[in-house]
Amino acid sequence: MKKYWLSFIFLMALAVQTASADPIRMKPYQAGDWSGLVKTANGSPLAIHFWGVTCPACVKEMPQWGAFLKRNPKAKVLFIQVDDVAPEMMQKMLNKAGLDKANNYYVTGPFDERLRYEIDPKWHGETPTTIFIDQNGKASRKTGLINFQQLPSALKEG
Amino acid sequence: MMTNPILRKLNAFLTKTLLWGVLGICVQANAQTDHSSHSTMSAPSKGANVCQGVGLECANAATPFITKDGQLFLAWTAGGVVSVSQSVDGGKTFSPAVKIAEHGKALDTGSDARPQIVSDSKGNVFLAYAFFKDSNWNAQINTTRSIDGGKTFSAPESLVRDSSSQRFPSLLIKPDDSLFIAWIDKRLVAAAKQSGSPRLGGSIAYSSSVDGGKNFQAEKFANESSCECCRIGVSLDPKNQVAIAYRAIFPGGIRDQASQVITSKGAEPIRRVADDDWKTDACPHHGPSIAVSKSGKFHVAWYTQGAKRSGVFYANSSDQGITYSKPSRIGADGANVARPYLLASGKQVWLVWKEFDGTYSSIYMKQSHDDGTSWSEAKLVSKTSGYSDHPLLVRRDREILLSWLTRTDGYQLIQIGNIQ
Repeated sequence: MKKYWLSFIFLMALAVQTASADPIRMKPYQAGDWSGLVKTANGSPLAIHFWGVTCPACVKEMPQWGAFLKRNPKAKVLFIQVDDVAPEMMQKMLNKAGLDKANNYYVTGPFDERLRYEIDPKWHGETPTTIFIDQNGKASRKTGLINFQQLPSALKEG
Repeated sequence: MMTNPILRKLNAFLTKTLLWGVLGICVQANAQTDHSSHSTMSAPSKGANVCQGVGLECANAATPFITKDGQLFLAWTAGGVVSVSQSVDGGKTFSPAVKIAEHGKALDTGSDARPQIVSDSKGNVFLAYAFFKDSNWNAQINTTRSIDGGKTFSAPESLVRDSSSQRFPSLLIKPDDSLFIAWIDKRLVAAAKQSGSPRLGGSIAYSSSVDGGKNFQAEKFANESSCECCRIGVSLDPKNQVAIAYRAIFPGGIRDQASQVITSKGAEPIRRVADDDWKTDACPHHGPSIAVSKSGKFHVAWYTQGAKRSGVFYANSSDQGITYSKPSRIGADGANVARPYLLASGKQVWLVWKEFDGTYSSIYMKQSHDDGTSWSEAKLVSKTSGYSDHPLLVRRDREILLSWLTRTDGYQLIQIGNIQ
């Protein structure tokens, strides 16, 4: 009898767990991680997109990134969330944008000049910002909304 | 009792699961009772870069106010909490911190956000800060008052009654103890969205209080179209009118600087500080600074990535912003320059900013004795190897002080000049 009771509680506990927030699939990002992240492209073109949940332009644009990746599943795009907010809130916005299964990171420490310097010493933290890395490893920075029609075709081909 | 090893394992598994289940329920219950916070779960920490406490040592931003008798009030945000403390020895030691409010991860700690604090001639203290009130990232500005010299504070209450978003309060206290507050308000942007013509940005709103912040006059708009994520610079002119500087949105989505005078009658025309031509939809999180000298000259410093000009710049205006001098670059060419801040007294003007060289964040200063016509060479004031806040300037009697919060070297209050 005790066993059934325990099983019942177990199922209840499981139900509560399942009902709680979506699983957090994001990985932490901090100063020192940049060169390792860039290397993951392995010579393919890569876009690293910095966004924040409190940035209205980012919120507007994220679903467009979701649609872009749906159309171009081979494109290598990493997303890094920069605001100091609860991971559940970031995940919620990613789910809404259709990016919950994308390659997602979030900044764990302060999003300051120290963190940005290795990415681009000239970048002052505007969001959204996208860093494009070409086949030769050359980086270029684009601040503001992306014109998805004008994204390099090499990126789309992955 | 339970001799069967399989049963024993099952029991251990169930106990573990049960424990996690109960913990899960606790977290859920907590999240429901804690209305001020989106969630009680916090990000897993990684590395020594994450400071978890609510004390000044973990603060992301600290704002000073110095009273006429030289006492320092410091308001800061750390670990989701807004706190206030006092120092009578220039920031060397502080009284026990008074916790003003706890908002967890919903507290606005964006890189241009900071709590605002002022004290009047009777020793009353007034404080304003912003937090995110809902899951759509709409913010609310809360205010609180102390009538016992900062020992205790009233329960924080919303500055305005509006369901959209208010963020980035900037506070001034006038010699007659009245308060002026300006902020970024999104109700017009929310209304535009409702009516089917959405636009980005916010508006510059303002209000004032003649009873120490108990009541504020009905809010007004100075500019309906501004950047939504940059702090507003505020300063008093010789007639105790307010001059504000902010990142406006000009036609075509150009996010350049504007200045404006706000008199007792209302807001005067919007004046463009410089034609930088920064067309962007991005959030720069980098608002300007303004200081008005005794002659009424406006001194403005700002950051831009415009097509015509990129970096941190300074300009001044002798005609209340109608025309500005040609912008001059602040900091070394090619250096990572940020966060300019100005203070003026008489014909003297002080300017500080931050430079980062990959290892150290350094604060530099320049001084002008002739109302901004000529400037001293840049001088290094302080540097730190860890996280640091923006440099700010405050006056203590005849001394000009740099207020700078650093994570590894503590809170700094450094004299950089004297009023002559």
